[in-house]
This record gives sequence, C-alpha cells and structure tokens, in this order.
Amino acid sequence: MYGRGIYALRDVSLVVEKGEFVFLTGPSGAGKSTLLRLLLRQEMPSDGKVIVAGRDLARLSPGQAQAYRRNLGFVFQDFKLIPTKTVLENVALVPRVLGATSVQQQRRTYQVLKWLGLQHRMNAYPLELSGGEQQRVAIARALVNEPALVLADEPTGNLDPDLSLEIMDLFRDINARGTTVLVATHDRELMRHVGRRAFSLDHGRLMESA
Amino acid sequence: MRLHAIRYCLEEALASLWRQRWSAGLSVLAIAAALLVLGVFLLVTVNLDRAVARWSAAAEFSVYLRDDIAQDQRAALNAMLEGHPAVASRDYVSKADAARRFARDFPDLAEGLAELPQNPLPASIEVRLRAGRTDSATVDALAQQLRGAAGVADVRFDRRWLERLGGIVKGLAWAGWMLGAVLLTAAILTVATVVRLALHARRDEVDIMQLMGAPIGLLRGPLVAEGLLQGGAGALVALAALYGTYVAVRGRLTEAIGPSLDPGLVGFLPGGLVVLVLVGGMAVGCAGGYVAARQVR
Repeated sequence: MYGRGIYALRDVSLVVEKGEFVFLTGPSGAGKSTLLRLLLRQEMPSDGKVIVAGRDLARLSPGQAQAYRRNLGFVFQDFKLIPTKTVLENVALVPRVLGATSVQQQRRTYQVLKWLGLQHRMNAYPLELSGGEQQRVAIARALVNEPALVLADEPTGNLDPDLSLEIMDLFRDINARGTTVLVATHDRELMRHVGRRAFSLDHGRLMESA
Repeated sequence: MRLHAIRYCLEEALASLWRQRWSAGLSVLAIAAALLVLGVFLLVTVNLDRAVARWSAAAEFSVYLRDDIAQDQRAALNAMLEGHPAVASRDYVSKADAARRFARDFPDLAEGLAELPQNPLPASIEVRLRAGRTDSATVDALAQQLRGAAGVADVRFDRRWLERLGGIVKGLAWAGWMLGAVLLTAAILTVATVVRLALHARRDEVDIMQLMGAPIGLLRGPLVAEGLLQGGAGALVALAALYGTYVAVRGRLTEAIGPSLDPGLVGFLPGGLVVLVLVGGMAVGCAGGYVAARQVR
C-alpha cells in the first residue's frame, strides 16, 4: 500500500511452483511491476508475506537480501545495460561481482553468450546493438549465474513482434532447463504463443488465472 | 574484503576517475592545497623546533669573571657548578682564549683589539645546561646564586628568548593545525561532492549491481577507493610542492647567509611526518568518499 490509502496490490494470493513458467498480465498500472519489485525485494509489502523458496523476504537482513538476489535473474523492458561496458563486461559483471576467477568469468560468460548467439558481438557496446540483441544481452546477464528464478518485466516491450516471439522462445528454453520463469507482459499474443499459466491483475487485484 | 573485491573497487575507481578527470583534478588540487598549507606550517614548526632544541642543547650561562678573581673564589665557583642537576658541563675560557675567539669571529676588529694596551675581554666559565631536563625556576636560582658569588663580574643567560621562541613555535603549530583542520574539512566536502557526481554518473550501474545482489561493500567500495586515490594523489602533489618550496627557500637562505649556514639546521620533514601527510591525505579522501558512499543503501 502506498500513502493515503492507495493500494498498488490488494488481496493478491498466488503460488508459483518451482520450475514453472508463469505469465503476469494486465493493463498498465495494474500492479505487475509492483509484484516483480516485491519479488526483487525492492519493495516491502505493507501487509501480507512474500515467500520465495520458503523464505519470508521481509525477514531478510540487508546482507541476506543481497544473497537472495544472487539467486535471481532479472530482465527489464529497457534492458538496463551499462553503456560504458562491452557486452562481455556487462554479462561478466555478475560472476565478477560474485567473486568468480577471471577464467570462470570468461568461461561462464562465453557459454551463455554462445547459447544466445551473441559470441560475435562480445566486444560491442550496448548502443552498437539492435534492440533484440540488447535484450538478449540482458537475458544473458540474467542467466550467467544460473539463477533458480528469472523475473522479466515487459521484456519485449521495446521489440518488434518477430523479435518478441524469439525472446519468448528463449524464455521457454530457459524454463525447459529447470529455471522458474515469471514474465510480466500485457501482450496476450505472446502468452498464447508460449501457452503457459497466466495470472491477470487489474487495479492491484488478482482477477483471474488461466 | 577479498582480493578480487579490492581489485574490483580499485579498477572501478580508476575508470571513474579517468571518466571525470577534470572534476577529480579539482578535488586533488583542493586536498593538495589543504595539505600544502598544513605542510608549510609543519615544515616551519619542525625546523624552528629543531633550532630551539639545538640552541637549547647549546644553551649556556656565560659566567664572566673579574680580572682579580682569587684562586679560592674560582674553586668555590667550580664547586657550586660541580654536580648541580641543571649543569651538563662547563668550560673555562681564559682571557687569552676569549681574545683568540674574538679575533676568529671578527677578523676586521682583531687588529684594533691587539693594539689595546691590555686585553679587555674577561675570562669566563661557559656552563652548558641539560637540555629539556631543567625547569626555569632551578636555572633562575642557579643564575641568581652565581651572580652573587665572589669574583663574578656578570652572568649572561640566553634561555629566556629560547623559551619565548618555543612558545611562538607552539602557537604556530596550533595555528597550523587549526587552519589545516578547516582546509581539510573543506577538502573532505570537495571530495564528497566529486564522488557524489561520480555516483550520479554510475547510478544505473550501482542500481543494476544492487539487483544482482552485489554486497554493499562492493557497491560502496569503488566510491571510497575513488576518495582514497584522490586523497593519495593530493598528498603526493602537496609533498612535491612542499619539497620544491623547501629547496627554493633553502637556496635563498644559502645565498643570503652563505656557506656558513649549518646544513643540519634547515631540513625537510622527517620521514614519519611525510608518511603522516600521505596517510592523512588518503584518510581525508576516504572520508570524503565514504560521505558520498553512504548514499548507497
């Protein structure tokens, strides 16, 4: 709840099983991003609980919260790549931050870039890439640490329909490897393409699940 | 913090400093200016202290003897000085020794002295005092006692101005530290502002790293390291400028006084103080960096 009695989310209760692929849909302002921010522990619920892998996120200390985030991968509509770093440096930042050796960093980064077909763009800077390539770099960064859960907030919002389908296929592949995937989107065509369970939000309330 | 984290912080700090080299340069200059002012005060007080210590070690009574002093009166004077806690050593300077010394120190006047019918210079006992181990009351009492002794014409004691000089040195040191503290506080704020600008430029990167689960130390570390490097660079610039000033002033002094300038009297800061200035600069930079880094939560 935000100030003056305005609820971003209200009476939302949903369970996502390990290894599931779930869509979160709804119009702009429905509360999709807020739900993802709660899962990223960027926001705290004013009431209720957010439990991931048996842990109540509100009870985590700042250090535990950072450790929890290391098991997450995130992908945003605006990619959130660091423009002053190359593709390789952007993706290698995660293992680097987590203390991997240079060899480990390069091996993991190369593997994931190769899987996403970006190995030939390793030394390019984000602004030299197309939108689809930038989003694939963001996905590579989300996956490089082999997270248990990947959160994506409108990951195809800036992409054309063909690229959007391509990105969704990537998420399906990621899920097929055992990673839990939660994608927030308002694009029903994409949901039909992937054909997985979807939760719909409207004005902060969970309206339906299909 | 592990080695990879330290390396990461330093690499990021260097990259950030290079990106905003102009504002970082200003910050380095602010630290250098503050440390230079403090350094100049330190240099002056260290040298004055050194001089006071030397002159104090050489401080002496000159006990001028009457020409007609009797043997037993001299013996009584020697007995008075022998074993006195304030007295380190004593030398007897005869009338002939005094004339020789005068001729050596003032060669132009030596001829005039030789032409006089008799040597007007008195014999004396030069009494060296124990440096820093005697209080002025004890020394004053001894001087008074000597003045009243039979066979003594006069007693000259040059410690008073040394004490006054010592007081001035202490005052100067205080003023230096106070001024230095004000300037260093200003330098901390300058560093904090520059590092805040760096943080602003890297805000997206920091936010992304936060989402990746980077430990807080790794988010704040590059900012603190940036301050540390700016502080270290500022201290090195200040020390170089201070050394340049020292060499120039020393050259001028040698020109003015000539080769008779005691080489041990004017010196640069001792090694310990050089390290202190360097570490102080880094600490100031660190403090500025930390003030800015606290914005990352």
